[in-house]
Amino acid sequence: MEFESIEDVMKRLEKAGYIASREIATVVFLAAAGNKPILVEGPAGSGKTELARALSTCMNRHKIRLQCYEGLDEAKALYEWEYAKQLLYTQMIKEKINDLISGADTIADAVERIADQEDAFFSERFLLARPLLQAISADDPTVLLIDEIDKADPEFEAFLLELLSEFQVSIPELGIRKAKHIPMVVLTSNNYRDMSDALKRRCLHLYIDYPEPALEAKIIRLKLPGIEKRLADKMIAVINRIRELDLKKRPCISETIDWAQALAVLRIDEITREAMSDTINVICKYRSDADMVKASMDRILN
Amino acid sequence: MMHLLLKFAAVCRSGNLRVSTSEVIDAMTHLQWIDFSDEAGFKAALKANFAKSRRDQGNFDRLYHLFFHEMQTSIACDPKGGQNDELRQIIATLRENEDLHEPVDQALIDFLQGDPAAFLQEMYNLENREEYRSPALKSNLGQLSGRLAVMLRINALKGAIGQASTGSGADPAGGPTAERLLGRLDRAYKMLTEDNRPNNDALKKVRSNETHFKDIGERSFAALSPAEILQMQEIIKKLVRKLRDRMGRRYAAGSRRYLDVKKTLRHSGRFQGIPIEIKYRQRPLKKAKIVALCDVSGSVWSAARFMLNMLYSMQDCFSAVHSFAFISATTDITEIFEKHEADRAVEKILSSRKIEFGALTDYGEVFQQFRRNHMHLVNKRTTVIIVGDGRSNYHNPREEILADIREKCRRIIWLNPEPEDFWHTGDSEINTYKAYCHELRPCRNLNQLVDFVEDLVL
Ligand SMILES: Nc1ncnc2c1ncn2[C@@H]1O[C@H](COP(=O)(O)OP(=O)(O)OP(=O)(O)O)[C@@H](O)[C@H]1O
Ligand SMILES: [Mg+2]
Repeated sequence: MEFESIEDVMKRLEKAGYIASREIATVVFLAAAGNKPILVEGPAGSGKTELARALSTCMNRHKIRLQCYEGLDEAKALYEWEYAKQLLYTQMIKEKINDLISGADTIADAVERIADQEDAFFSERFLLARPLLQAISADDPTVLLIDEIDKADPEFEAFLLELLSEFQVSIPELGIRKAKHIPMVVLTSNNYRDMSDALKRRCLHLYIDYPEPALEAKIIRLKLPGIEKRLADKMIAVINRIRELDLKKRPCISETIDWAQALAVLRIDEITREAMSDTINVICKYRSDADMVKASMDRILN
Repeated sequence: MMHLLLKFAAVCRSGNLRVSTSEVIDAMTHLQWIDFSDEAGFKAALKANFAKSRRDQGNFDRLYHLFFHEMQTSIACDPKGGQNDELRQIIATLRENEDLHEPVDQALIDFLQGDPAAFLQEMYNLENREEYRSPALKSNLGQLSGRLAVMLRINALKGAIGQASTGSGADPAGGPTAERLLGRLDRAYKMLTEDNRPNNDALKKVRSNETHFKDIGERSFAALSPAEILQMQEIIKKLVRKLRDRMGRRYAAGSRRYLDVKKTLRHSGRFQGIPIEIKYRQRPLKKAKIVALCDVSGSVWSAARFMLNMLYSMQDCFSAVHSFAFISATTDITEIFEKHEADRAVEKILSSRKIEFGALTDYGEVFQQFRRNHMHLVNKRTTVIIVGDGRSNYHNPREEILADIREKCRRIIWLNPEPEDFWHTGDSEINTYKAYCHELRPCRNLNQLVDFVEDLVL
């Protein structure tokens, strides 16, 4: 088994720079043990993508990433024939082709002879492997991150399904490619739309929320080892109160980290009203959000 | 363990979670790797297999607690230890009781014995049953009276427990076993009144908006004078032209770089077979389908008309736009908007005799009609847009139909033309409905409308 225990998952993820809750570690452990993809949901910036990165680091595997978007198709996700290269080659070996068909009596015969050589043109050499094929044909096990699957079209989701259950693809000209190793698959979703039941059935589900205060403090101390515990705790209390506001974009972990860095640079070690208004732009990306925070400053600071 | 897991899976299914056999098998496998003394791990493993979206997690937690905590606390064991004969006796008496032979009664007795599946199923049926009622008699009493009936059954059962336990002689007031059974029935009673909506924290709420236009952009649609309405239409025309331009550019960028081999080879003939000119395939971006449901009662209509005005001026940006006006019934207005210019279409609709302008708005009925007659328009490419204040005159909201629409469509976007402070007051069901929407935004003025349309097409 890849991991020895749930504790082992937590320890190794932490070494890779990721602080996992027990629930996250449990699901990762089960997914790794059972070769199941994980479907991760959660608010923006709660560490979905980061989990995949940390997994690849701690499992010592290559990370292959497929970013989904509307209109993404097999040619961009799986493979494509390099037509331009094929054309170029036909031109370069034109003479050879002439030789080949020189003795042919009829056109049908000539076509037949060329067709015999077709394999040469539909071979690895002209195949452009995209992330999914890369993950399947890799010599070593990989971590395959399929990011923001909710942005892809339903047709693509259906196609992905097949891949996730069989871990093989059929390339008409080359035959069936079966995965040498089943990759560790992480799919992320921001819930732009709902995933199909069929896809969900193939995955283990994991919801990553904003971390508990204790965990977030741990993350901060991991990224900024020098930070005073008292300050970190206070920061996180404040951030969590800001998250309760009805903001356009709620501050996520990276904002907490940025804020801690900003405070360090400005040598601020006490969170006062003044300190808040000096650094508010690090926490809130929108003017209207910053204004809302300023308006509720009293409640946030106490 | 297998037995317990299967039972829990049955409970989940009755409680409206979709749990397939393969998921039960997976969970079984996973439990082998979990240390049972670690309840958090045990729960996490079940959760990862049985609740496959955030929306289902609240329901899962509820069912998990019910099954593994409330139902497993051993009513069957005497506090002094040993099996409880009294319990077996009471249950046996209840099962034989001639007056307790309805399915609900049996479900409740199962519940008493620690198996909530049948009772959950009864509750589910209650919430989702179709109502056939005469249009003259509108009320949302259907579900309420159904629930009331179950409550009465619970009371009857309580009486029967009292009798059965005193009958067994041990304690005239009913012993501790009877007491615990009654407690469990209270739990069932409470479940009938519990609110059990999906967790929708992924709902996109749009609040603040850009100021595209000063003054007229900020004025509420409902407060526009006829002259301003004309002015508004001019602005919308210009706006639509600009948006189209921007879209056109995006499409041009999106559809490049696909080599068209056939075309390239055909053209290479002119250059002695050398493919000098590379030809690309134009791959049209797949366009979205729109279904718009517009409340045309009272002041809400003014928002709907401008929304429709914009949508239809951009019709070619979508693969199809279907629209319906509604008050207490749906009327297909697609054709009117396709055939006529926006102003004309609006006039036609306002004078249409098909729409009962005097009627009371009834969203539940409208959803029901939509599902019955027009659901075929909805598929995974469809964005459903609802324009309305969600004020349904205390009729049954029929939220489960909206849930059903959500399952079939790509996204549901709700535009509310009311000031936000009023959203959750009086007969507004927006709170109920928002659990099933992907996006909820205020739409009272041009600025907000423009934001929405930009978001939709760009
Ligand atoms: N548990 C964690 N331990 C350490 N760092 C974390 C953790 N969670 C999040 N981070 C930090 O937060 C940042 C944002 O996380 P990430 O990009 O993975 O979010 P996301 O959920 O993928 O967001 P989006 O939905 O916007 O894609 C990361 O760069 C990382 O530094
Ligand atoms: Mg991400």
